[in-house]
Amino acid sequence: MVVVRLVNVTKVFRTGVVGVKDINLTVNHKEFMALLGPSGSGKSTTLYLIAGIYRPSSGKIFFDDRDVTNVPPKDRNIGLVFQNWALYPHMRVYDNIAFPLRIKRLPENEIRKKVLETARMLRIEKLLNRYPWQLSGGQQQRVAIARALVKEPDVLLLDEPLSNLDAQLRISVRAELKRLQKKLGITTIYVTHDQAEALAMADRIAVINNGRIIQIGAPEQVYTKPATVFVGGFLGNPPMNFVEGEIIEDKGKLYIVIAGQKIISPTHYEPIVRRRGLRKVIVGFRPEDTMILPECRDRNECVKGMVYAVEPMGREYIVVADLGGELVKAIVPRTLVLTDDQEICLCPSLAKIVLFDPKTEKSLESLAAEKD
Amino acid sequence: MSAGLRDIELRSRKTEILIVATVLIFSIPLILSYSLLVLSSFSKEMVTNLNPRDFIPTLRNWILFFEGRTAVFGGIRVNICHIVLNTLIVALGVSFLVTLVGSMTGYAVSRLRFSGRKKFMALLMLLHAFPGSVMVVGIYFLYLMFLPSYQMVRLYSFFFVIVARASLEVPMATWLMKGFFDMIPWEVEWAALVDGASRLKVWRKIILPMVKPGVAAVMLFGFLAGWMDIIYVRTFLVDQTLATWIESNINAEYSYLPLVAAAGTFYLLPTIIFFLLARRLIFTISATGVKG
Repeated sequence: MVVVRLVNVTKVFRTGVVGVKDINLTVNHKEFMALLGPSGSGKSTTLYLIAGIYRPSSGKIFFDDRDVTNVPPKDRNIGLVFQNWALYPHMRVYDNIAFPLRIKRLPENEIRKKVLETARMLRIEKLLNRYPWQLSGGQQQRVAIARALVKEPDVLLLDEPLSNLDAQLRISVRAELKRLQKKLGITTIYVTHDQAEALAMADRIAVINNGRIIQIGAPEQVYTKPATVFVGGFLGNPPMNFVEGEIIEDKGKLYIVIAGQKIISPTHYEPIVRRRGLRKVIVGFRPEDTMILPECRDRNECVKGMVYAVEPMGREYIVVADLGGELVKAIVPRTLVLTDDQEICLCPSLAKIVLFDPKTEKSLESLAAEKD
Repeated sequence: MSAGLRDIELRSRKTEILIVATVLIFSIPLILSYSLLVLSSFSKEMVTNLNPRDFIPTLRNWILFFEGRTAVFGGIRVNICHIVLNTLIVALGVSFLVTLVGSMTGYAVSRLRFSGRKKFMALLMLLHAFPGSVMVVGIYFLYLMFLPSYQMVRLYSFFFVIVARASLEVPMATWLMKGFFDMIPWEVEWAALVDGASRLKVWRKIILPMVKPGVAAVMLFGFLAGWMDIIYVRTFLVDQTLATWIESNINAEYSYLPLVAAAGTFYLLPTIIFFLLARRLIFTISATGVKG
């Protein structure tokens, strides 16, 4: 039953480096929140602030209504899994998992019961007598999770727990971890730099860059309606395409000129563009929302481009197209046969285009929301 | 971690034999002098002239040694148990103090980023480079300030020796322990803190077991330093230790050298035991627990 709340939290390290700045974040009870950002963005700092390993320079942290800003980590009842798992190398797996309970001075038979129960849940009951260095990466990671869960924490904090696993294992553990979290119903905060992990597992994603939270939202929302150019470019593989566009008006209708070719402006953006009197925009569109046609004819939402390269990815092909000197990507079915330097027609789906303000790099929607 | 490949297989068999042979040649003087000492202790005459006829096997030297006799004739007798005990007190005292101070300083230097840390480490290195004998006079004047009453001097002199000798060993011990602490990732400590342990518990239950080989090494080095010391013991200790006893018997008018050889051999025992233990203790360093 724990809601984690960060209010205006700032962390400036003694060296003067700003870890995070003015973070406001609420993680609801039973929610799986992913903190997503590139390395050095402050996502791990945020996690360590919640864990109590770092103390905020200013701002407050609440677990429900309890102010834990100055509470040491041992009194916060949290489970923490590190990227390198940080198992105690001189203890057997059993003692590793039992360690938090022994610190609490629980009776040994109760410890035994809880350790076995947790080990069974994570399917490591056969490894209890081994030392950490006798385990594979995946097994070590399970032990680390077991050690975090055995004390029945109020909040589970995971710091890139999958990034030391090989790619195959990472994907299989992903679903398992998600299920486990839902089953146990523990408020979970998960730090990752892998956008696929965040999209796959989280209830909500908080995108962090340069120590600030840029956008918080459900995976679909963050993916389809990125608040800034950074978010659009960080999520998705391949990420969102961005091209510069110029707004012109012709016979009462708005058009965007991309690479000297005009397409009609998405109608839902028209009021915002007019109100702000924008002349220039950044047009963002996802590769999978882009159709490729052999010829444009007279379609007014398409632009001509050239095939730069084709990357066969097995399930689909990625077409890299040259659009007036800028490279954009589109995902097309395998049936489409294209050759290099062939002229093609790119048609981004108008409903899914996102327009950004070139000055602030924020999407026009989020700019409009800021004003209100 | 497990047995198997010992080293990169780059050297050929021939160069390996060559290397071992060179090492053997250079260690001949050492091996020779020590074996002569041990042989002499079991002989009526010293065998140091390399004359095999000098070797007349006997256990008498050892019996005399344990009886505490300093000469074959005459009634000069010392309590040898007392001397060994004195030596042990000094050696264990130095060992304890060096381990305590060295490990804690090493931890601080490894973990805390205080200003002047690098300079402090360099200073420690410099301190280690100073020969211990040049500081005897300074330490003597320092101790004059803490001179106890006449009856207590004998007891205090042990503290004087232990503290002075330990302080010479602390710089090296700090460096050694710092290396061991550097291998422990922060996350392991944090994990224990999050698991509910206090700082002190983390130190005792997590950190200390992980640096066990380092602690063992520092303990042994400290012990040997105390066991071997002669300058400080002669200067500050009222009682005798094995080192000063042997030294005073070499030049005495009544000195009987095969007996001194037996004492010398006995004096070597900790070193031999240390050699046997060290292979197990120092070289089986446990992994730091971080994979990948």
